[in-house]
Amino acid sequence: MRRTPYIFASAAALYLLVFTAWPLLDGIRLSFTDTRLLNPAAGEWIGTDNYAALLADPGFAATLGVTLLYSAATVAGALLLGTAAAVLLDRSFRGRTALRTLLTLPWAAPTVAVALIFVWIFNVDDGVLNAATGAAGLGRHGWLTAYALATVTAVSVWKVFPFVMLVVLAALQAVPRELLESAVVDGAGPATVFRRVTWPFLVPTLRVVALLMTIWSFRRFEIIWLLTQGGPVDRTTTLVIDVYRTAFLESDLGRSAAIGTVGLLLSALATVAYALAERRSTAKDLT
Amino acid sequence: MRVRFIALVPLVLVAGFPLYWMVVTATRRQEELFGGGVHWLPDVTRLGTAFTAAAEGAPMLRWLTNSAFVAAGTTVLSLALAVLAAYALSRFSFRGRGVFGFALFATQMLPEALIVVPLYALFLTLGLLNNLWGLVLGNTAFAMPVAVWILKTAMDGVPREIEEAAELDGCSRYAMLRRIVLPLITPSLAAAAVLAFFDSWNEFLLANTFMVDEEKWPASKGLASFVGEFVTPMPTVMSAALLFTLPAVVFFLLVQRHIVAGLTAGAVKG
Repeated sequence: MRRTPYIFASAAALYLLVFTAWPLLDGIRLSFTDTRLLNPAAGEWIGTDNYAALLADPGFAATLGVTLLYSAATVAGALLLGTAAAVLLDRSFRGRTALRTLLTLPWAAPTVAVALIFVWIFNVDDGVLNAATGAAGLGRHGWLTAYALATVTAVSVWKVFPFVMLVVLAALQAVPRELLESAVVDGAGPATVFRRVTWPFLVPTLRVVALLMTIWSFRRFEIIWLLTQGGPVDRTTTLVIDVYRTAFLESDLGRSAAIGTVGLLLSALATVAYALAERRSTAKDLT
Repeated sequence: MRVRFIALVPLVLVAGFPLYWMVVTATRRQEELFGGGVHWLPDVTRLGTAFTAAAEGAPMLRWLTNSAFVAAGTTVLSLALAVLAAYALSRFSFRGRGVFGFALFATQMLPEALIVVPLYALFLTLGLLNNLWGLVLGNTAFAMPVAVWILKTAMDGVPREIEEAAELDGCSRYAMLRRIVLPLITPSLAAAAVLAFFDSWNEFLLANTFMVDEEKWPASKGLASFVGEFVTPMPTVMSAALLFTLPAVVFFLLVQRHIVAGLTAGAVKG
């Protein structure tokens, strides 16, 4: 009987070891070698040379900057838009279910299909966006060249804000009705009710969602890759795009693994920051 | 309430427009799309034609079949592993439980791009490159942990008393899981299955990296190969994208509530 839980957990644990933990450790090991894609067996241990090269490369600093800018903007945009949509959808009104369903569509649609349609919408000569801005007298623009990072960020926000909306909506419905009603009876206006009653209930949820959004935007690949491939001239090259390009276009597995490891460290940092914030707020709640 | 409605309408338009535009483009003739003049409405008479064109042009049906195979394989494998692991996490306290739970959560923050390079090397050794089974194995690594969290959350909601009664009747642990717990969590099981299926259906990074032969591409890679290409007519590309999108959207909307509940509970407790 005491062995039972291990029997139940063993298959999944073994799977994680082989297909996640092992590649992860192997990736970190690779980052200390000069392994090339075409001849992986010939890689030799070169210590921290890859990392030193990254530190000395202004291009890599730029990549870090793009990653942070992209992530911060995507997370902020998605949180704002998602929370706003959720608050607006919280009360029941006619057509609410239909609106919520429509607002969920971006999250439900496959990313590759979404990227395909956006490339077409942003097309310089025959795209519908330029047709619209042209007709409105706002001029035609190279959305994926002149404003590449902003455009890629906007598409990312479009894609993920429904997740924030659905989660915040679930949290809003968990706010006790009696609290809201008694606040209204006490004469509080809608803004005060939101700030004093609803908001404190939302904060823990928003914190988790912010963490997930941050981690996910560090990882996001398809949207950027399919829209711009990191260009023009690295202006939309995030860490993940850099990892991919360095490995599969430049064949430099060692350097690619080092970039990936830096990305992993950043994700871990975000998680630790979250855990610390969580602990501090729990301590505050208790006192 | 009218204020809410008015505030939401522009948001809905922005959220829905790209998918609407996919339909419009799919039903228009190639020559209507280029050289100025925008048609804002879909040509409904051509809906059927659009889909036949997508099915005939390009190996789209082949790619969709590959996607279905990979997604189905990933779903079955992920759920089989996840059901057992979730039961262990929900019903037992054991040494290593915390580490195991954390490892499952940590896969969420792992960039696939970091894994993809060593996985490439591993699959090269195992002969799994350019092999649909390789994609099944790779996708399961990401789908399974999410399934574990959804299922564990659901199992935590099943009262233990029911199992204790069955235990007195001499029911084995495995039988309890199969006959008592699983039937009670069917909705979450369905949610986890759909999520695993469409994670894998949509997956692009591994597919793009591992699959070489065009006839073995899943639809995500096949569709991506059309980006910026002007040889294949745009209406055909958009019809193909629609064929790829429709099943994902329909199934997703059916189970979104369970997915959100499972994901947030997993994240909060992780």
